[in-house]
Amino acid sequence: MRWFVRRITRKGKGNVGYQDFAFDGDTLTVGRGTDQVIALTDLRSALAHATLTALGGGKVRIESQVITGVRIDGRSERNAIVKRGSLIELGGVRLKLLDAPKGFDAAVEVSPLESTEARVASQALNTTLADTWLSKRRPAWFLFAVVALLFLLLPMFAHFVPQTRPVIDIIPLTSRMTWQSGELARAHHTFGDRCEACHEKPFQPVRDEACGACHGAIAAHADPRRFNLPELGNTRCAHCHRDHNGADKLIDAQQTLCSNCHQDLQARSRNATKLINAADFGTAHPPLKVNLPGWNAEGRFTPTRVELKPTLRESSGLKFPHALHLDTGGLRGPEGLRALACGSCHVAEPGGGRMLPVDFETMCQSCHRLDFDVLAPDRQVVHAKIPEILAMLDEYYAGRALAGGYEDARAPMFVQQRRRPGQPLTAAQTIEARTWARDRASEIGESLFTGRACNVCHTVTRQEGDAGDQWRVDPVRVAGSWFAKAMFPHAGHSTMDCVECHAANTSKTSTDLLIPGIDNCRQCHGGEAATKRVESTCITCHRYHDSPYQLMGDLQRAARSAAPTAHDKTQ
Amino acid sequence: MHDSFLTYANKRYLWVALVLLLGSIVAYIWHDPSPHPNGGTWLGYTLGTIGALLIYWLTTFGLRKRSYASNLGSVGGWLSAHVYLGTALLLIALLHSGFQFSWNVHTLAFVLMTLVIVSGFVGVFTYLRYPALMTRNRENASRQTMIEEIASLDQQSLQLADGIDARLHAIVARSIENTRFGGGVLGMLRTNDASEQALKQVRDALEKREKAGQSGAEPRTQEMPTMYAMVDFLAAKATDVQAETMRKLVDSLSRKKALASRVSRDIQLQSLMELWLYIHVPLTFALLAALTAHIIVVFFYW
Repeated sequence: MRWFVRRITRKGKGNVGYQDFAFDGDTLTVGRGTDQVIALTDLRSALAHATLTALGGGKVRIESQVITGVRIDGRSERNAIVKRGSLIELGGVRLKLLDAPKGFDAAVEVSPLESTEARVASQALNTTLADTWLSKRRPAWFLFAVVALLFLLLPMFAHFVPQTRPVIDIIPLTSRMTWQSGELARAHHTFGDRCEACHEKPFQPVRDEACGACHGAIAAHADPRRFNLPELGNTRCAHCHRDHNGADKLIDAQQTLCSNCHQDLQARSRNATKLINAADFGTAHPPLKVNLPGWNAEGRFTPTRVELKPTLRESSGLKFPHALHLDTGGLRGPEGLRALACGSCHVAEPGGGRMLPVDFETMCQSCHRLDFDVLAPDRQVVHAKIPEILAMLDEYYAGRALAGGYEDARAPMFVQQRRRPGQPLTAAQTIEARTWARDRASEIGESLFTGRACNVCHTVTRQEGDAGDQWRVDPVRVAGSWFAKAMFPHAGHSTMDCVECHAANTSKTSTDLLIPGIDNCRQCHGGEAATKRVESTCITCHRYHDSPYQLMGDLQRAARSAAPTAHDKTQ
Repeated sequence: MHDSFLTYANKRYLWVALVLLLGSIVAYIWHDPSPHPNGGTWLGYTLGTIGALLIYWLTTFGLRKRSYASNLGSVGGWLSAHVYLGTALLLIALLHSGFQFSWNVHTLAFVLMTLVIVSGFVGVFTYLRYPALMTRNRENASRQTMIEEIASLDQQSLQLADGIDARLHAIVARSIENTRFGGGVLGMLRTNDASEQALKQVRDALEKREKAGQSGAEPRTQEMPTMYAMVDFLAAKATDVQAETMRKLVDSLSRKKALASRVSRDIQLQSLMELWLYIHVPLTFALLAALTAHIIVVFFYW
């Protein structure tokens, strides 16, 4: 085995020389000792520091003879096989394997390390984090890109390219759902994944037309053509309905949304409205107005809306002393003593809104029987149908006259006598019987209408006409809508006793208006900011969308056809 | 008297931040919108605008501190404002959102902002505490001086060890080889210094050799790498001259070890002081992306 050894020497700055020699032997020794083939001078090397054994094929085994070891490619090793190109450092020198020249089996180059190089190699590793793999810039831009891609660019892509939605929108991190600022209103959950249903164009607030696509049939508020108020035309749906605020927060109930406009309305609408200004229910609400029953000349129900005052009298058309009927001792009736309560006659509609009409047959008739003849105590006339009552009486007494056996001393004898079947009346008797029957029916009718039945509760008048006298009973309205522009649900007040609002137990006449005024409401209800009352805003009782004849869709269509461009500008 | 960034200009920016916060809180309480406070009210937009502008501006601190030629206020002043207004941002963002959180890009922006601010707090803590610790640790020497002194002590130790025994020389040389300062991230942050580690490695290597039976016949004391082992060696068979040299070597090695510990500690303190910024800066960029997404998205689907 023949080694080629080249020693590089440095003489002063930049002067490099070299010295070659050959060595015959398998093992090349390196160290500070004088017996070493490659003798070193640096104190860091041991006397016999390492051996190099050529293995053939350009490979060399290096063995450190001391625990100090040898640095190979920056790592400290005790025993290693190296190939050409490896950096071997020990005791201030660098060994480099070379291609063996002709006639040699192995070759090595020995060069001294620069002093600074030596220090760097041995001691000065990274001393600040900036020297390590840690970086600020790379992760910064990486995170910036990831966040921008996931939460902005991909969802935006899904908006513009609908075909990508089935993929992008179902991945939780890239879905446009991450854009939602809050939960949609419950009713909108059905199309919650179709953002573009409402958000038609980017950077454009949701247009009313988008709402109108589904909600066109909801009632309008007031006709902008009748009331010249710019707010009516300009107010967006979103003014009061802001979605993404939670499942049940779609309706903004703030009272200022109403009161901002319901101020100075008469002047602003140039007297087009009769509405009185209103704001806070607890402090700035006008007295209530009721629909007082009334009828026009044709008998049609035409209530008048009047302010509720203590002096106001009820005009239901019925005579009914509430106090008498609510006697806690009970009422004497055909079936014995019976105590009535409000609920005996006043039953709420299914749904708990208004009260059902009072029903004579089921509620009154058990006491107020419509029997008409002591000789036929079980027979009663029908209620409320005057021609039928009169016809029934006529038929009844005609029948009795023909049949006989009507044991009334005032009746003709042949009427009083019970006749056998097949025993006919004479022609004179027939005429007399008819006369009696007509008179009797008329007499009983009069007593019913003016005496013991109808007149008890109703106002009955006799009207003379060409075809004879006619009875007229004044119309009645007992239960119905008292507040035309507000809602009062009885069901929501079921924890109260009726008499707490309706002073029926002390009312001796039906002209007492038992509808309570605003002071009564204010015992429990205050305005929006009330602290010890039920906080009630405008829409607690009133509806915004309550135009009886106009729909939101009508307004939108009218606006579109009138001035499409102008309308678009207001959006 | 040194003016820290917290007390810069009589805490001018602390007062600016406090006034901003107080104004925001008062407006928030007074505003009380329906159904609940959120970013879409006029106050929400106002606070959001203030917050976003603050974030974008606070980010430019990273540019300002590197532009040495800039005359746009002192870096100390910028840092003071950065810290105080950055802290105020936390509450401004909360008031802007009306304390509403959800799984969305908007809350993501808030979470990232909070992480940035909290990592900033760590930075404030380290800047207040570590420079003093570093000064105390260095005892008026620079790190470079200490490293140079270690190099000369190493040279001295090698010379002394060489004069005693070849084996001892090898142990010392090995120890020097393995004296490392810094290195990897974890290496810098760890408290145990490299020289100790090197000695441990020497001991492990010796034990391995002993087990392999290669040096079973040699006296055990010669294999012990510690200074106590050297003293044993000294007591057992050293000549007077060797004993004197050994004492010098022990002294030299002890001084080196003390210096090495100090350098390690210096590197550790500096690394700890810098580490937070490797979280603060990347998260800031994530925040910039999330904030920009938040603003665009809100108006994209208006």
